[in-house]
Amino acid sequence: MRTSARGLHHDSAYRSPVNRNRLWAALVASLAIFIATAMTACSNAPSSQGARTIKIGIDLPVSGADASTGIPTQNGAVLAIEDANARGVPGGFSFAVSALDDAVQGVHDPAQGAQNVKTLIADPSVLAILGPYNSNVAKAQIPLTNDAGIAQISPATTHTGLTQGDEARALRTTHPDVVAYFRVCTTNDHQGEEIAALARRLGYHRAFDIDDNETYGKGLADVFDRRFTAAGGSILGHEHLTRGQQDFKALLTKARSQRPDMVFFGGTTASGGGVLRKQMGDVGMARTPFFGGDGISDAQFIVDAGAVADGTYYTVAAADASKLPTARRFIAAYRRRWKSDVGPYSANAYAAAEVAVAAIEEAIRQAKGTMPERAAVLANVAATKGLDTPIGRIAFDRNGDTTNPILSAYEIQNGKPRFVTQLYYAR
Amino acid sequence: MEVLLQQLINGLSLGAIYALVALGYTMVYGIIELINFAHGDVYTLGTFFSLAILGLLGVSGELHGAQLVVVVVVTLFGAMMLCGFVGVIIERFAYRRLRNAPRLAPLITAIGVSFILENLMQLWRGPSPVPVPEIVPNPTFHLGGVELATKQLVVIALAIVMMLLLQVFIARTRIGKAMRATAQDREAAQLMGININTTIAVTFLVGSALAGVAGFVSGMYYGTTWFFNGFRAGLYAFTAAVLGGIGNVAGAMLGGFLIGLVQALTTQFISAEWNDVVVFSVLVLVLVFRPTGLLGEALPDRA
Repeated sequence: MRTSARGLHHDSAYRSPVNRNRLWAALVASLAIFIATAMTACSNAPSSQGARTIKIGIDLPVSGADASTGIPTQNGAVLAIEDANARGVPGGFSFAVSALDDAVQGVHDPAQGAQNVKTLIADPSVLAILGPYNSNVAKAQIPLTNDAGIAQISPATTHTGLTQGDEARALRTTHPDVVAYFRVCTTNDHQGEEIAALARRLGYHRAFDIDDNETYGKGLADVFDRRFTAAGGSILGHEHLTRGQQDFKALLTKARSQRPDMVFFGGTTASGGGVLRKQMGDVGMARTPFFGGDGISDAQFIVDAGAVADGTYYTVAAADASKLPTARRFIAAYRRRWKSDVGPYSANAYAAAEVAVAAIEEAIRQAKGTMPERAAVLANVAATKGLDTPIGRIAFDRNGDTTNPILSAYEIQNGKPRFVTQLYYAR
Repeated sequence: MEVLLQQLINGLSLGAIYALVALGYTMVYGIIELINFAHGDVYTLGTFFSLAILGLLGVSGELHGAQLVVVVVVTLFGAMMLCGFVGVIIERFAYRRLRNAPRLAPLITAIGVSFILENLMQLWRGPSPVPVPEIVPNPTFHLGGVELATKQLVVIALAIVMMLLLQVFIARTRIGKAMRATAQDREAAQLMGININTTIAVTFLVGSALAGVAGFVSGMYYGTTWFFNGFRAGLYAFTAAVLGGIGNVAGAMLGGFLIGLVQALTTQFISAEWNDVVVFSVLVLVLVFRPTGLLGEALPDRA
């Protein structure tokens, strides 16, 4: 009986007037969409291809769990580009921002990052790219920007292998000898070493290490293990989180049974840092201090960790902008423009954008006021020397790393980060 | 030894939440043979509904005495009703018309509904994790070296009570009988005068209400949630339902507890990063030797 009913339905599918009406409706709808698209395309055309516009691409995670650091970082870069326009660009050019989000379902995503960079590369008016925020995203992007010969400057990725050693050479797939990836922050080698030293200085010697198995987190945790052991501490165990996990109680029960006097976490808030800290309270480890890198330096960490956020120590691969004399003007301008406080990497992003702006302006002058080539911009970025930025004078070594690496350490007290110390590396 | 006991408690309380979610998977599968992929998201909705109700009640901290009981009952009941309602709506608009379509069609619809719910929750409460106020006091009992958190005991007890109530509901009530009949043979049940549409709607209502319970409990237990939470939890709960024998209520419960225990013990004795490998290896092994799951054949009727 059921089959015959279905058969009847089938027969009517092609004849009934209802379906003809539907067909018309579909036609009209698609026509409307077509017209609407054509109209937006027309209205976009003059502004995007305006004779003298140069675009600077930005790829950062600005939605989801990463948004609380991603947005202030993006704001810093946008501010620098607006400032450059206000000063006036040589040759009558003006800068425009092309900002893309590499977060998918609320978490930074290497595949999306690669897609974004492809989009930016495909636009000939994009002469430099700022970003990304996360080291695993950078790993997906470096081969692309290397191949395209476009300068990419990151404010925040700290995985050492992105610029140094065999890993970096392998990432530069098309032109192994050309460096197109630069960063204004220091590396995990320094960060891990400094957190280990800080922990030892505070008197901790039995650490349980947990990481999130991502490029950044695992790299940082491995450096911490080495440095903490070298400094006379012992690592009681090293565990890895799986992405999307919510229950860390079994893991923390295991950690507690080893009686550590501190827990180190290599990873980000998005990969579970804050929730991990919160659940330390549930298994009776609220008083055990929690150490991490810049991945847990965001406001979301404190929200996630709730009442047990206190007793967390972390470093940021940036100067504490409020402590740096060159940064005062930047912070004031940032507050005026965005009506909010700077994030841990806002000043770095401003500096990265300034590097790009200076290189492009120099390239315009070299091209006698005509549209410069990406190659010229890249050469100028690599040759950056003594550029004054809110985080100090910027220059790059032959790997694309800053010659002015700075770290700041913080402790969370009463639910607020408190600046502990600032560390400079002269190389 | 103490650590082992502690891990058993951890595993059971984690498993209890999987079990509550798994009940919904298994009920729906039992009656219309549909893997309702949106179920994990209904579970997350349960947490968000609880959060919204707590917000309406103006509760943000720990409560005691009668106030606590009232708030818990109101919130739990509200979350159950709202989730049940969402479940019925989903069935009415996304699945009912596809009931006789090829099996792939409702499966794809289910995935679509799952995406819709996830994105609605993202629009509603934002994409970042959201803290849930911890209203239930959480004194810890010490038994030797083992710490029993009240929350853990409540979670386990609630899961078992819910399963027993569900068993009674299915075995003893008229509508339960109709559900069993529909699961056995839909057309015959219809010929006997059972209203199929109502029966299936009630199945979705009850299954989704149980997801609401799980959502409330997980909010209380973890004190945090985010819109994408249901994806992973749903996957594990579905695995639990298959492990226990899909369509079998006691099996879903058993599967949930088993997966929780396997995870906790894997973390303790191997490493947390091997959790998924071990859980799904157990699943494969069980299915190789008992294709119907652990309790799949123990009971004559599904649902």
